[in-house]
Amino acid sequence: MTNHWRDIKNTDLILINGANPAEAHPVGFQWFLAAKNDPKRGPGSGGGARIIHADPRFTRTSAMADIYARIRTGTDVAYFGGLINYVLQNNLYHKEYVLNYTNASFLVKKEFGFQDGLFTGYDPKTRKYDISSWGYQIDTAASDAYNAAHPPAGGAIATIAKRDMTLEDPQTVFQLMKQHYSRYTPEMVSRITGVPQDQFMRIAQLVGQMGTPDKVMTIVYAVGLTHHTTGGELIRSGALLQLLLGNMGRPGGGMNAERGHANIQGNTDHAISWEILPGYMQIPAPQRKTIDEYVAAQAPKKLDPHSWNFFGTNYKKFTVSLLKAWYGDAATKSNDFAFNFIPKPGQNSSWMSIYDQSLKGKMQGLILCGMTATSIGPDSNRVMQALANLKWLVVMDPLPTTSSEFWRRPGADPKSIQTEVFMIPTTHWIEKDGSFVNSGRWSQWKEQVIPPQGNARHDHWVLADLFTRVKALYQQQGGKFPDPVMALTMNYANPKQPTLDELAQEINGFDLTTKTRMSSFANLKDDGTTTAGDWIYTGSYPASGNLMRRTAGVQDVAKNDPTGMGFFPNWAWSWPLNRRVMYNRASADLAGNPWDPTRAAIKWDATQAKWVGDVPDYPATMKPYTQDPTAWLPFIMTGEGTGRLFSNSMVDGPLPEHYEPMESPVANPLHPNQSASPVAFIYSGGTGNFANVKDSFGTAADYPYVATSYRLTEHEHYVTQHVPLLAGLQPSPFVEIPQELANQKGIKSGDRVRVRSKRGKIEVLALVTKRLGPSTIDGKQIFQIGIPIHWGFVGVSADADPSKGANWLANALTPFVGDANAYTPEFKAFLVNLEKI
Amino acid sequence: MPGEHFVVAPGWTWLILLYFFFAGISGGAFVIGTMLRLWGSPSDAAASRLAFIVSFPLLLICPILLTLDLGQPARFWHMLVDVGSGTPAFKAYSPMSLGVWGLTLFGLFSFVMFLGAVGEGGYLRWRVLAGAGRVMNSALGKAFMVVGAIFGFFFAAYTGVLLAVSNQPVWSDTWTLGGLFLASGLSGAAATILLLSRGRRDAAVTDGKLMEADRYFIILELVLIAVFLITLGGVVSKVLGGGWILLWLVVLIGTLVPLVAEWRPALRRQLPPVLVPVLVLVGVLALRAVIIFSAQA
Amino acid sequence: MATQPVGFFTDTTLCIGCKACEVACKEWNGLPNNPLEFRGSYDNTGQLDHANWRHVRFVEQAGTSQDKPIAWSMMSDVCKHCANASCLEVCPTNAIVRTEFDTVFIQQDVCNGCRDCISACPYGVIGFNSNSGTAQKCTFCYDRLQNNLKPACATACPTQSIKFGPLAEMRQTAAARLDTLHQQGMSQARIYGNQEYGGLHALFLITDKPEAYNLPSTESAVLPSRNNIPGYLTMAVTAVVAAMAGLIAFRRRGESASPSPSGGGQGGG
Ligand SMILES: Nc1nc2c(c(=O)[nH]1)N[C@H]1C(S)=C(S)[C@@H](COP(=O)(O)OP(=O)(O)OC[C@H]3O[C@@H](n4cnc5c(=O)[nH]c(N)nc54)[C@H](O)[C@@H]3O)O[C@H]1N2
Ligand SMILES: Nc1nc2c(c(=O)[nH]1)N[C@H]1C(S)=C(S)[C@@H](COP(=O)(O)OP(=O)(O)OC[C@H]3O[C@@H](n4cnc5c(=O)[nH]c(N)nc54)[C@H](O)[C@@H]3O)O[C@H]1N2
Ligand code: SF4
Ligand code: SF4
Ligand code: SF4
Ligand code: SF4
Ligand code: SF4
Ligand SMILES: [Mo]
Repeated sequence: MTNHWRDIKNTDLILINGANPAEAHPVGFQWFLAAKNDPKRGPGSGGGARIIHADPRFTRTSAMADIYARIRTGTDVAYFGGLINYVLQNNLYHKEYVLNYTNASFLVKKEFGFQDGLFTGYDPKTRKYDISSWGYQIDTAASDAYNAAHPPAGGAIATIAKRDMTLEDPQTVFQLMKQHYSRYTPEMVSRITGVPQDQFMRIAQLVGQMGTPDKVMTIVYAVGLTHHTTGGELIRSGALLQLLLGNMGRPGGGMNAERGHANIQGNTDHAISWEILPGYMQIPAPQRKTIDEYVAAQAPKKLDPHSWNFFGTNYKKFTVSLLKAWYGDAATKSNDFAFNFIPKPGQNSSWMSIYDQSLKGKMQGLILCGMTATSIGPDSNRVMQALANLKWLVVMDPLPTTSSEFWRRPGADPKSIQTEVFMIPTTHWIEKDGSFVNSGRWSQWKEQVIPPQGNARHDHWVLADLFTRVKALYQQQGGKFPDPVMALTMNYANPKQPTLDELAQEINGFDLTTKTRMSSFANLKDDGTTTAGDWIYTGSYPASGNLMRRTAGVQDVAKNDPTGMGFFPNWAWSWPLNRRVMYNRASADLAGNPWDPTRAAIKWDATQAKWVGDVPDYPATMKPYTQDPTAWLPFIMTGEGTGRLFSNSMVDGPLPEHYEPMESPVANPLHPNQSASPVAFIYSGGTGNFANVKDSFGTAADYPYVATSYRLTEHEHYVTQHVPLLAGLQPSPFVEIPQELANQKGIKSGDRVRVRSKRGKIEVLALVTKRLGPSTIDGKQIFQIGIPIHWGFVGVSADADPSKGANWLANALTPFVGDANAYTPEFKAFLVNLEKI
Repeated sequence: MPGEHFVVAPGWTWLILLYFFFAGISGGAFVIGTMLRLWGSPSDAAASRLAFIVSFPLLLICPILLTLDLGQPARFWHMLVDVGSGTPAFKAYSPMSLGVWGLTLFGLFSFVMFLGAVGEGGYLRWRVLAGAGRVMNSALGKAFMVVGAIFGFFFAAYTGVLLAVSNQPVWSDTWTLGGLFLASGLSGAAATILLLSRGRRDAAVTDGKLMEADRYFIILELVLIAVFLITLGGVVSKVLGGGWILLWLVVLIGTLVPLVAEWRPALRRQLPPVLVPVLVLVGVLALRAVIIFSAQA
Repeated sequence: MATQPVGFFTDTTLCIGCKACEVACKEWNGLPNNPLEFRGSYDNTGQLDHANWRHVRFVEQAGTSQDKPIAWSMMSDVCKHCANASCLEVCPTNAIVRTEFDTVFIQQDVCNGCRDCISACPYGVIGFNSNSGTAQKCTFCYDRLQNNLKPACATACPTQSIKFGPLAEMRQTAAARLDTLHQQGMSQARIYGNQEYGGLHALFLITDKPEAYNLPSTESAVLPSRNNIPGYLTMAVTAVVAAMAGLIAFRRRGESASPSPSGGGQGGG
């Protein structure tokens, strides 16, 4: 989240797209209701914030919404695009904000273009874009002048872009954007999404009121947007709308991702995904030989004299401090701080590629820790084939999972599966202390609830033990490149059993000269005198102690939340630097006064000569522009210094465009010849059951119904299959079927049905409901059906069923294809057929 | 509809049905026995004895059925003694509480009269019972009987009130059940005595009178059934609908056939003599069954 | 919390049907799990009974506007702890008592399982536990109240749909909430439980007529004892008539002494 949970109470309008907070985030949902029940909030004269829920299914969230829009899965770019168009056509955007706080005025290269669903630079063979045309017109003179005056810091040379503050030049981002989205007329939006035009207009009129300083809107999303081949752009299109309305950086505004597991935010911050290093720095590409090469390639360029370009400027400091944290004394200036120790991925190593590699016979073994590959999918049958292709499989989990049991699943012949499976019982998170980082970036320390049960061991102890043994082997037998293993720091009281408190300190980082813990990443250095295991957490555990432990909360609201904005600055700690609302400099105008004084994040206090309120996302004492024309622009992390309406950071285009899901019932009404994303992540060669990748996709002819998969409030994915009381609340796997479709097929609630996709089938019960219904898509009547993900062949429900849970895995149906940017599987949109058993 | 509730059924079934059945006959028999003494001729003494003799054993079955129906039979006595305070547990406005006390006290009278009848009839030649007959026909004896009969009335009827004092559909929608169960109880009792009097020349002399009484009881019962159905208003579908109509047929046969038969001696002689009283008893059982089960369905 | 009358205010407009209340209640009171069978909807609990003392009812009705195709309201049902409690009224063993918190409590060691309370409760709250042989329902977390703890269900509710506090306070909160909703144009919103049965200790904010939530209307909220007098009266009248019938049928034949009805009356008691 750019903002945080409690902040949602500050909003006037809540757009929920691709999320079902009442069911997936029931506790956080209280803040949606707080806004709805606060008469001060809401469009016009208030009377309570309005909630607009766009979802293929009418859910428990829809029940609480003021407007429910039945949107077709995978089409939110059209929905947001239509709103962007409405806001631009009717001049409802936040003028001052757009002009000064976004890159609307930047001039884009003349070569840039968009035609028939393709941006310039596309190569069909590699399925990739050459993005060189997606840049700004550079003012070389200005750049040289600037670089002369300011010798490049941290390898970041300035390339100053041309701007037109009248926004009239056809090459301005503003004009290009206006033109791009002019195609997203209400009629077109309705054709694509299935949302009736009149309803869309009612939504647009509400959203259109949110571009004024005294109103603010929030957009809340979750994996209903991410689980698409277009996931990145789906989200970006919402962010664009928020920038146009001037809602970024403001309390009650922002683009807010409701995260997953209680600590999934912490996972990503600490680089659980393969393509980043801790703190969202890029993993170095193999060809990067030195830190400077790496920084030059990755660090954002300064594109405006008034942009601080904080990230770009400090990229090297963060990198060196990370290397010092990992390799300690072995990282010296002379060896470029052991930059060459960092493993550099030779190829894509994202989630699905793991199983692809295994199917291609390129993998020996796999350690699954705290997740259930088989159930997670996509295409569980393919995943299980992949697991069967391994020599060995280690499952670190407190409980049996479909992965630890895959070799004896119903219908499988254990003798034919050679994989040796090791089950290592680990502690569950309730059996350890440590921190949870919530969607609002609040790192909250928790205590151990119960001691480790049975012979369960902490994950970090298992891994530390494993590491020391591997290290010993290297010691005895040498090996190709032992140095990274040998040099890795294990400065813990007991290297085999580090405590999470020790890890938290390591993550925070130290000043090696004073031997004290760092208090801010602003003080990190690139000379090897500081460490930071994850720069964005620097300051979470300063010399004064573990700030994540702080608990000054609702027990005394007046004292602990002085601004009344819900910041609770002394409750736990949020990155970066305990800031609760990111980009909060943008919540105040050029003079430093909040757009809405009643809902201030920060404001310039002339008497104290500093910014007060939330922790400023800005130099604390830097005067506002009106007093100091050289002051930095508000978005200090970007090269532009502004929010980016146009960005070359996404591989599928600088402006979000609607593409159909890989499996879609219609050809893209905007450009039928480029229906799906041209850069969606599909696999080079076919594997598993499919000789050729394309074989794994079905067509509407054979699979006429659109399916989406999701959660129910009563279960947590797959693990709660071990919790009898929760199984009691939702005992059996089912599919939600629209009444009209059920009538056509003579299906009643409780009947057993078979759902097939090109990849597999499930056999579950029918839940027939009026909450789902037909949509008119491009003139055709289309039915969407809903498939909860929670069941499999492990757990109390399966044990109680004669079928033992055979054909209960929702992911037997889902396609093996991913988002172009994040490689997230397209769990949320695929084609199926449906029959009564 | 006013009085519409969203209840669950208490799950009172066979044991309770039989309890209500026997309570009706036991109480009714005692009342009839008493009335024969008060107003009948000396020749009716034998029939009256039968009535008292049958009342007690039937009554004895009742607490057994009631206890068996409890979830915690061993705690039957909790209905009489408040375990908290040790004082008697008595709630005038709770028919179940009142009923248990009624059963106990009526049991006393029924037992005494049973002994009296046994003694008078000379079935048991115990010294204590020798003077039974005299005592029974004395003013004191009659007074005792009358008080007992009042309990008899109550015992035959309260089970109807018990059902009514609830929030169950049907039961709580009418005020007729107490009276209805009493009327049918009396008619059942008359039928029982008629059955027993067969082959006893001494008792059979009263058969005519009993049939006449039964006729009146049946008419009373039919009137009350009509009122019952009317008072139900909308809910009536619950008792008439479904398969229940069949039980109502049994009730009708169990009332109309005896009514006609006892009116027309000519017709009666065609039928096997046991048939009429048996039909009555089956009708009495069916009436309670349809009311107990249909409401809980 | 001292020992002043307590109450629930369950606001269905805040209920998201998460069933945390159901689970919290089961956990705290160690109630058995529900059978693992699918009931064809999101509600696999079905009803309040001996093993379910909170039950989240999902009420699906026709929509209110094009933007709300269906009205799907959720309501966490519970024992109402009626001021005039039907169950307590009929209980022959005094197993059902009113506690120092003015709640209605079934003493498990006293109840003998006669089930009269079940026939009496107008809300279908009480269930018979065939294992214990007793009637069971919400205890209003008597044990927690005694230790100054909020009831488990109210503690677990993530949206404050279940509010707990002194009854008087709950009444005010409910009234205030109703005002807000009326101002927001929800004209159908109403409070249930202020008049019914002398005032319920579980108030509900509902947005449709009570029957839609399986709650008897205010005029239907009547006590079992209403039928005592009429019931016994009919019995008495019937007895009198029956006695007169007896008098006619059994009188000595041939004798002129046809006694007065009053005599029969006495005879009939
Ligand atoms: N009870 C419970 N809570 C959970 C979890 C759980 O398993 N159980 N899991 C946690 C985790 S890991 C995560 S990631 C989050 C996920 O939280 P959510 O993303 O809210 O959960 P989902 O149910 O996967 O999807 C949300 C909704 O997206 C809708 N949807 C699908 N496709 C589209 C689309 O293209 N557009 C729009 N507008 N809507 C779409 C679905 O119908 C669904 O209602 O939940 C977390 N919270
Ligand atoms: N079709 C479809 N597929 C989906 C999704 C979807 O919406 N649709 N959602 C996707 C998403 S967003 C997610 S996050 C995944 C969720 O998929 P998973 O993360 O696999 O789901 P969980 O059941 O939460 O599995 C967590 C496992 O971690 C174990 N565990 C808990 N605590 C600890 C611990 O401290 N240490 C260790 N080692 N183990 C622990 C639990 O026992 C459990 O087995 O599913 C993905 N798959
Ligand atoms: S399960 Fe935990 S994390 Fe999820 S909503 Fe409930 S309390 Fe929050
Ligand atoms: S709701 Fe039913 S059980 Fe609860 S107090 Fe009232 S009558 Fe008794
Ligand atoms: S079942 Fe128990 S609580 Fe209910 S009325 Fe009978 S004795 Fe009282
Ligand atoms: S008050 Fe206690 S017993 Fe009653 S429903 Fe809530 S949790 Fe269950
Ligand atoms: S816990 Fe609260 S929100 Fe959840 S179902 Fe119960 S009452 Fe509703
Ligand atoms: Mo997730």
